[in-house]
Amino acid sequence: MIRIEYETQRLSLRFFMVMLVLFFLQTAFGLLLAAQHIDPTLLAGMLNFNVLRSQHVNLAIFWVLSGFIATILFVGPLLSKRELAEPWLIKVLFYALLAVVAWNALTQVLAQQGVAGWWMGQPLLQEGLEYLEAGRIADVVILIGFAILCWVVLRTFPPRAQWNEIHWGLGLGVVALTLVWIFGMAFVERLDVQEYFRWYVVHYWVEGVWEVIHIALVGFLLVLMFGANVKSVGYAVFWGISLVWLSGLLGNAHHYFWIGTPEFWQFWGSLFSALEPLPLIFCFWHIYLDAHQDGKPVANMPAFSFLLGSVVLEQVGAGILGFTMTFALTNVWSHGTWVTLSHAHLALFGTFGMLGLAAAYYAVPIMRGLAAFDQRPGRLAFWLVFTGMLGLGFVFAIGGTVQVFVYRTLGLDWFSGDVAPAMQFAKVSVPVFGMVFASGVGVLVYDLLTMGLRAPAASGDEAAAVPPSAGWGRRLSGWETGLWLLAMWVFGGIITLGLLSFNLPSVQQGNALFPYLMAGIGYPGLLLTTLLFVRRFLRSLEARRHVPAAPLVVAAVSPAGAG
Amino acid sequence: MSCKPGEPCHEGLKRRRALAVLGLMAILFVALSAVSFLDSRGQAVPSQVGYAGFDAVEGKRVFQSYNCMGCHTIVGNGAYFAPDLTKLYDKAGPAWLEAFLPSAGAWPTSGAVRRHLQDPAIAAEAGTDDLDAYLEAYPAAAERIARRGGKATTMPNLPLTREEIGNLIAFLKYTSQMNTEGWPPTPAVDGLSFPQATPLPAALRAAATATPQEGAAAAAPVSAVAHGEALAVDNGCTACHATDRQRLVGPGWGGLYGSTTTLADGSAVAVDEAYLTQSILDPDARIVAGFEPGAMPSFADMLEAGEVAAIVAFIRSLGETKP
Repeated sequence: MIRIEYETQRLSLRFFMVMLVLFFLQTAFGLLLAAQHIDPTLLAGMLNFNVLRSQHVNLAIFWVLSGFIATILFVGPLLSKRELAEPWLIKVLFYALLAVVAWNALTQVLAQQGVAGWWMGQPLLQEGLEYLEAGRIADVVILIGFAILCWVVLRTFPPRAQWNEIHWGLGLGVVALTLVWIFGMAFVERLDVQEYFRWYVVHYWVEGVWEVIHIALVGFLLVLMFGANVKSVGYAVFWGISLVWLSGLLGNAHHYFWIGTPEFWQFWGSLFSALEPLPLIFCFWHIYLDAHQDGKPVANMPAFSFLLGSVVLEQVGAGILGFTMTFALTNVWSHGTWVTLSHAHLALFGTFGMLGLAAAYYAVPIMRGLAAFDQRPGRLAFWLVFTGMLGLGFVFAIGGTVQVFVYRTLGLDWFSGDVAPAMQFAKVSVPVFGMVFASGVGVLVYDLLTMGLRAPAASGDEAAAVPPSAGWGRRLSGWETGLWLLAMWVFGGIITLGLLSFNLPSVQQGNALFPYLMAGIGYPGLLLTTLLFVRRFLRSLEARRHVPAAPLVVAAVSPAGAG
Repeated sequence: MSCKPGEPCHEGLKRRRALAVLGLMAILFVALSAVSFLDSRGQAVPSQVGYAGFDAVEGKRVFQSYNCMGCHTIVGNGAYFAPDLTKLYDKAGPAWLEAFLPSAGAWPTSGAVRRHLQDPAIAAEAGTDDLDAYLEAYPAAAERIARRGGKATTMPNLPLTREEIGNLIAFLKYTSQMNTEGWPPTPAVDGLSFPQATPLPAALRAAATATPQEGAAAAAPVSAVAHGEALAVDNGCTACHATDRQRLVGPGWGGLYGSTTTLADGSAVAVDEAYLTQSILDPDARIVAGFEPGAMPSFADMLEAGEVAAIVAFIRSLGETKP
């Protein structure tokens, strides 16, 4: 597709632009948090850590949602073969989004003064619960926004008899998005009950709703990019969604190990959330199949890079790193430490953030009417954010392993005196990889915001950049992909053993060698394998340009022979 | 579409089967959830936990209002920037929390904890009004006072009111009564004997230094100024008063002695030994303009006359303003 087919698809452009701006701001807040971890007195009293963190977390949710909305609006008319219903409501949704983001950013600062705006037992302005920091006023506006999205999507879709699995995935996704949000809209007196319902929103959003929307959108983007068969993608989407819900519904139990709920949750949580990687392996396999169903070169490499990054980091961040800490015997150590940060960053940015960026790289050039665009900034940005995020995952995990030992095994709980100095190496490394990531964010935000508006850069010699179809550029076989995946899981197993080893009597007596060794092998092994696999995958796709280019080169070199 | 192209699909059947399995799981989940919150489990409930007349439910509101979870963790959930608070009440006790929360920017000293133990309501909650017995009952308080007392924390001072502090402690009392299935795990070793502890444990330090000079300073006589300085640190004075002219919570001590200052009622007073002694024993009697009454506690019950004189001597040593 080179141009849009339906006028209302253009409504998605403004949501993509907002997504980019919020992403940039979120990254900036992340860097500030990293700086405060090194010097906790920085900005103390002006912008305390908890305020910065709630901005960082809330902006992450807002920009991922903006990306979802934008992508759904862009593909909605294509799925339905007609214009979006109620375009004026989408404009309302847009201004509501801007208003609620600004309002929430302002009200979060009130936590420094302890002002929550209690009225009839409810906090109107902010409520100080991780991920659900927004106060009740913002909650209601967000609920209305979700309802608008549901209404528009369901009104645009064809009659239900004509739905395929992608319609089902998106339809169920947006409705569940709205319903699950309601569980976070009440003040609960008991801490255990509050945490029980808080995870309804957080876990079921990520594992039950976002994942379903993700599967459906990845499926449809593959259809658009590779002309993959809607039926065979639908097959993958059906089993993906079924497995997500069958494992994720009871998998939520892994949040109920230590919040004051009974011990039996440890059994159910360990059992079912160990199955949660299954749909992700399924999705991983499918992107391989769809990218290899024909040997044609990929027209839009930045878009495909981010899509591949999304599926691979979903596998690594959500699947493997999630698996390592999902058992009660490993979670008892990882819980409440930096070890979970590694999983959270790779899974959330990787899976959902990269999907929005992939969709933006696919849709923005089309909406700006560009038949071709300079892909070099996009490719550079991908490698910067991908490497930066893998590096962040690595240092969070290493810092977390040290934290588990010092804080839990030795029981030293003076953070500024004992724990932070022990984690100093990791704490200082965070902004290093953070700057790599942030520079990538800067490049891609500038590239996408100004694409088609700035003067086109002098095109480099594209042919020279095409790698040879040998070595890293040779065709990627299914066997090889399987071996890469196996290697990732082997390193995941090593990480799991490392976390498990905190239960050993020798470690309990203060000998950290075994867990440190396992983490020192497992995390770099896993993340380097991931990096190399994605490089291998993308190189093999880039090398495909040799195939159609070959006759042209022959014609240019020896016109006489051709004649 | 739930099958490969060309095969018979049985789409409806597959969808119904998947829904049936999902339904079974949902029933299982709801049943497990219902059992989780039965009264017969005996889980602690905030509405039934009281602390010195304060309310744990209101305390949870305070906890949320200040977004404590944005730095700390509670039952392990939160921000990993600061320690988990679930069992803090159990370990450090109410008097330590009472001493810490009003000025969270500095770690409380034994004097500050002792002062709060003189409040009968707090002593009743703590189970003792004697500092030594308290430190034995709450070893984390002893560890905090010994290693951190008087030093700066990385937590900002929060504008908590007396009411909010009481409610917050009630909430933390509730969370430490919760059964969290053994989390966080209890350490099997004494972490303070490991090199990760700050300052380096004495045994390791002794091994590291080549020429230990035993007892060299033990017999040195203590001057009134040095005694006063030790008392000022021990009683937490320096958490709020700088030893230079800087204003923290209270006025700085540098150059204070001998100066003339304006009181809230507009009158002027010379800062001499009598005025400083009165300010320590009865701080609200003559408040300096620009400061709130009630911010500083009275030390009348906690310091001997000689100790007050030593502290005044220490203040005087920080520089005199000649009239």
